[in-house]
Amino acid sequence: MAQARGLRILIATVRVPFVEGGAERHAEGLRRELLGAGHRAEIVSVPFKWYPPRRILDQMLACRLLDVTATGDTPVDCLIALKFPAYLVHHSNKVVWLLHQHRQAYDLWQHPMGDLHDHPHGAEVREAIHQADVELLPQARRLFANSRNVADRLQTYCGIQAAPLYHPPPESDKFYSGAAEEFLYFPSRLNALKRQRLVIEALAHTRAKVRVRFSGTNIDPGYYEGCVALARRYKVHSRVEWLGAISEEAKRDLYARSLGVVFPTLDEDYGYVTLEAMLAHKPVIACADSGGPLEFVVNRETGLVCEPTLQSLAAGMDELWEDRAAARRWGEAGRQRYSDLHIDWGTVLEKLLS
Amino acid sequence: MKALIVTCGVPFIRGGAEILAEGLRDAICAAGHQAEIVTLPFQSCPPSRIPEQMLACRLLDVTETCSVRIDRVIGLKFPAYLVPHPHKVIWLLHQHRTAYELWDHPAAGDLIHYPDGPVIREAIRRADRAFIPEASAIYTLSRNVSERLQRYCGISAEPLYNPPANAPLFHKGPSGDYFFFPSRINPVKRQWLAIQALALCREPVHVRFAGEADNEAQQAECGKAVRELRLGDRVEWLGVVSEEEKRDLYANCLGVVFPPVDEDYGYVTLEAMLSSKPVITCLDSGGPLEFVMDNHTGLIAGAAPQSLAGAMDALWADRRRAATMGEAGRERYLDLKIGWENVVDKLLC
Repeated sequence: MAQARGLRILIATVRVPFVEGGAERHAEGLRRELLGAGHRAEIVSVPFKWYPPRRILDQMLACRLLDVTATGDTPVDCLIALKFPAYLVHHSNKVVWLLHQHRQAYDLWQHPMGDLHDHPHGAEVREAIHQADVELLPQARRLFANSRNVADRLQTYCGIQAAPLYHPPPESDKFYSGAAEEFLYFPSRLNALKRQRLVIEALAHTRAKVRVRFSGTNIDPGYYEGCVALARRYKVHSRVEWLGAISEEAKRDLYARSLGVVFPTLDEDYGYVTLEAMLAHKPVIACADSGGPLEFVVNRETGLVCEPTLQSLAAGMDELWEDRAAARRWGEAGRQRYSDLHIDWGTVLEKLLS
Repeated sequence: MKALIVTCGVPFIRGGAEILAEGLRDAICAAGHQAEIVTLPFQSCPPSRIPEQMLACRLLDVTETCSVRIDRVIGLKFPAYLVPHPHKVIWLLHQHRTAYELWDHPAAGDLIHYPDGPVIREAIRRADRAFIPEASAIYTLSRNVSERLQRYCGISAEPLYNPPANAPLFHKGPSGDYFFFPSRINPVKRQWLAIQALALCREPVHVRFAGEADNEAQQAECGKAVRELRLGDRVEWLGVVSEEEKRDLYANCLGVVFPPVDEDYGYVTLEAMLSSKPVITCLDSGGPLEFVMDNHTGLIAGAAPQSLAGAMDALWADRRRAATMGEAGRERYLDLKIGWENVVDKLLC
């Protein structure tokens, strides 16, 4: 189907002032692609604060009350909504491309990473979020999810179907490959969900003298210090390197020179790291509970899917370290898989605007 | 300090308010603080949806971000300035004007044409009267905006002037044979008044207009008037010009003609003063009257073609006087100490 050009499109999302996150960059990326395809596109982002929980309800209502059907006398042709509660904004031609729901009310309810369940009004707020999602998400003309993982959660908790719609990581055309050097690479912000600690613990159990380079900023106070102390205690500190925040160029260089990428994150929504590793022709080690990465990593074909235990992760790292031929083969297969999946903005826009 | 600038905008449209918000953000950051802009969408048509959008603003929570306090909220435009915050300062760019002084304006009035218009007007006025005073300090864009706020809502507020974008880049050149009239082309800016005045000028006055028309009909109307009055060789339509071209046009003009209806503030006046040029404005032009001193930094004409023509003739015929007034305008700009440092000091203190 031929795509219309020159549409006036609004992207609705939420933001946390003074905190820059992946969602902002995602909305910017989508806007840039829409402009490149000859449309007019702008981002509407509503500030969001999720505590105390009852304030969530006010902000859901605020989103329902906004009016983005037209600007001045000219209709807005399409609204692409990304995040809770911005996807509650009304528009007769709304397409939801769900980055995630309010996870505290779903998969993180009664989970150590969540805290809504601890709150006196938690249950009531959770119920209201469920109701709003179940009633209002289906009002969208089309419903996509950022990943199968996000689509599966929507199906599990709300009984609503959404098609996964993958998009490339930022600057995907700039990734390249190089000869494998003596290290595994783990790029991610440092925090408990990404599980850098698990990698340190696993390093103490590897047969080979596996080396890991970590890059990314520390967002959990004390987490980095804990990792460093742990590495000392297990006497693996000479085999790890903490690079902190690095430039995108430096990151791509590390991908290119690595032997493989280790990304044992916990129930990731999507995970650019996996895709970036594939773009750099590198195998990926993920865990069976890593969520998003499992949509891309094919065990023993493009990487390894381990159990989230230090023994299993140690065995996985040993295997890549000792079988360089397999590592190279899996890396190449990963790059091929990336191509086969048609992860490109052209496909994304075609689906969103179809 | 973390300062959040909260304003409203119409997506796809960028105007003076957006430029001002960005200027404020940059100035706050330059003073060593953190600042971000939150722009909420606002759609004024149909009016029945306005109260809902007012409520939406009241429901937002910008007191903290990730458990870190937001120290100051600066509200600029209706209805965004209704957002609650314990340390909110309002720097009022304007209220919802068609609920106030433009209610029955023949061209601009919109609410008045709807059956529920009076009710919506009342809701807007009540919200303004109840919630604007919540702010710990209230400033406005100009004395004109302050006076309206006083007249309609009984709220007093101090005007806080800000410089035009790229103020240091304006410069003075030799006076050429044209008046300059930079503005969006629409009935409120009154390009047609300048055209009618031209037809009555005794001197061979020329005017160069720069700026985009709000719509084609308005451009066509001005073109038609020029043809009918046979002014073809005395008028130039430059359309959209770059900022650099605009500054050169200021620098090389004889003077600036700026006769809008009840302008809130009007960067044009300030830009002319920065370029050492006299300004011709009208008695009902609003904002420009706070800066133009009649017979000293420019001329204030009646809002009629004959009177405006007289003012244009006067400067055209006496270039030396025009130049002296231009210099006096530049002096006045400096005396007023219009700068971002002052704005930031007041809004964050």
